[in-house]
Amino acid sequence: MSSGQAIFTDGPGTAPRRPGLFSRMWKQRADYLYVLPAIIVMLIVIGYPIYYTIDLSFSRTPTTLKLSDKTFVGLQNYVAILTSPNFWKVTWQTLVWTVLSTIFAFGLGLGAALSLHREFAGRAFMRGLLLIPWVISAVAASYVWKWLYHSDFGAIGALMVQIGVTDEPINFIDNTRTSLYALIVVNVWKEFSFAMIMLMAGLQTVPESLLRAAQVDGANAWQRFWHVTWPHLSGVSMVTILLLVVQNFNSFIIPFVMTGGGPAGSTHIWITHIYEIAFQRQNWGAGAAYAVILFILMMILGIFYVRALTRGDATRAGT
Amino acid sequence: MAEVILNQVVKTYGSIYAVNHVSLTVADGEFVALVGPSGCGKTTTLNLIAGLIPMSGGDIYIGDKLVNDLDPKDRDIAMVFQNYALYPNKTVFKNLAFPLQMRKLSKDVIDSKVMAAAKVLDITHLLERKPRELSGGQQQRVALGRALVRDPRAFLMDEPLSNLDAKLRVQMRSELKRFHHELNATVVYVTHDQLEAVTMSDKMAVMDGGYLQQYDTPKNVFDHPRNTFVASFVGSPAMSLFPLEIIGAGTSVSLGSPEGWSFPLNELNSRKANASTGKKVILGARHSTITVHKTAHPGAVPGKVYTVEPTGDVTFAQVFVGDSIVVVSVEPQVMLRLDEPVWLEFDQDRMHLFDGQTQLALNPA
Ligand SMILES: Nc1ncnc2c1ncn2[C@@H]1O[C@H](COP(=O)(O)OP(=O)(O)O)[C@@H](O)[C@H]1O
Ligand SMILES: [Mg+2]
Repeated sequence: MSSGQAIFTDGPGTAPRRPGLFSRMWKQRADYLYVLPAIIVMLIVIGYPIYYTIDLSFSRTPTTLKLSDKTFVGLQNYVAILTSPNFWKVTWQTLVWTVLSTIFAFGLGLGAALSLHREFAGRAFMRGLLLIPWVISAVAASYVWKWLYHSDFGAIGALMVQIGVTDEPINFIDNTRTSLYALIVVNVWKEFSFAMIMLMAGLQTVPESLLRAAQVDGANAWQRFWHVTWPHLSGVSMVTILLLVVQNFNSFIIPFVMTGGGPAGSTHIWITHIYEIAFQRQNWGAGAAYAVILFILMMILGIFYVRALTRGDATRAGT
Repeated sequence: MAEVILNQVVKTYGSIYAVNHVSLTVADGEFVALVGPSGCGKTTTLNLIAGLIPMSGGDIYIGDKLVNDLDPKDRDIAMVFQNYALYPNKTVFKNLAFPLQMRKLSKDVIDSKVMAAAKVLDITHLLERKPRELSGGQQQRVALGRALVRDPRAFLMDEPLSNLDAKLRVQMRSELKRFHHELNATVVYVTHDQLEAVTMSDKMAVMDGGYLQQYDTPKNVFDHPRNTFVASFVGSPAMSLFPLEIIGAGTSVSLGSPEGWSFPLNELNSRKANASTGKKVILGARHSTITVHKTAHPGAVPGKVYTVEPTGDVTFAQVFVGDSIVVVSVEPQVMLRLDEPVWLEFDQDRMHLFDGQTQLALNPA
């Protein structure tokens, strides 16, 4: 074509300008109608408590528990929390708890998923067995572990004495230096099967032909894992780790049931600490302020989570 | 390069025989096509040669060496997969380098070998791209390149062209042939497309139901199919087969139909018919050996035109003879009308007779 006019190609700058958010929302107003019932329910059961917590976090409440008598105190609660040494101690413990739990739960889950991915006799049974920690009630599991750890009657202590590791049972959860780690072990035990399930699903997406190609190309089992399997697992690993992190930041049952945060606050993490401040010391304002701080941190993690989940969507949609 | 020998190879899945006592020898430098309908055991056979799945029985030799217990990496074969199986997170260069890295070659050697292979396949300009940034044909070349870099003792290819569009497939077909010729490579090539097998291979192994049905040059398979399966599988349009009854004996046998018509066989075909285990035989005729007459003709059998398909060079027609459909071809200027009566004359020197019971080709008694 001598005129140089192209018919099928988009010249630069010819892409239509994206209309504004509100005009797009107006165009799609019918769609909002369909999700309206869900939005209303969410506003009531999630939105209102959040609003009320934020409101409470700027107030001092009377010890009489009459919340309508609260008085506005501005940022006082926040200042008190952020300057309290207790806050930083609990934050550190929460970080230790979250990071160690996540790393070990993920690592164990990955190992279990890889072992269960190969075919062997009794695989279905093993899979069921390894799922037990995940499906068992956290409260029940906590009580069982509390007894396992018990310094006088605990099976773990007895076992260690019997095989000669120690002369007398160790105080795992009554000792401020070991208590947090003892609980982390329980937490890892409880949630590694979750990572296992996620990664087992991820392993199904690894194309068999790629593994075969690598085998013909001379890769040993470890090389096949590193060059073929692992790159395919990165997406699901990201999501799994983020979910574990969020879940671990929000842990409550295991420390609450097993130690109640003790001894000497050595196993307090954020949520148990908030619970103590709000519901045991009746300091609602401070508890609420604490919860708001935590809420903000969780929302930031949530953004990463949604990003990781929808990462493939944009490329698939070609935008 | 080396020869590949399969001796009574068996692979069972439970009670299913995916590969049933297959024996075949691929000579050094030979291009052998494993061909057959889907599910006949081609991929399984190839995977057994590669050592990717354990055998249930038999022996496999690659270049004089019994490889039954060797891992794939120690069999020194290269494989090209149907979906190419390129490592998606690696660049083309790294894909090609991978088999060499796994064999711990020095970086210099790897570089030069990859460059050499890339040059042969004309993919030097693609080396820094990821597989998903390549077209199907380019991916195909990279997959070939990854097999090529290593000087393996044999190439195993599992339907390497079937993911390409028709035009590219024809083009790659000739390129693969060229590639085989220049490397003097031993190739075992799996395809479900008999045309690919016929056009590319030195020898074709026709499989069905886990059994090796026939193993011979494409010409011999085409001219002398061992049984009705091979006869109908190889060639396009397929050879027409229809059951007839033997009338008479000795050297003057006729074949008759339930409709009442019959035609005499020549001496050689009479002797073949005599070798049949029963009275029933199956007549096989390719379209090119059938003459179509518009009027009754001695020795020709009556039929009725069912469909007509002009292709330009030649016009194909399906003709009902009794209950069977026979494919014939006529010059494009010959006009055939639907439902028009025609008389078909079979070339006695080029027609096939199969035993009605065993389905095997009949040999003169
Ligand atoms: N892993 C398996 N488990 C059970 N049956 C299989 C398996 N792999 C292949 N088969 C069966 O073996 C037969 C041959 O399969 P295959 O070699 O893949 O055929 P194709 O000729 O299409 O490549 C088929 O009937 C298939 O169902
Ligand atoms: Mg196949």
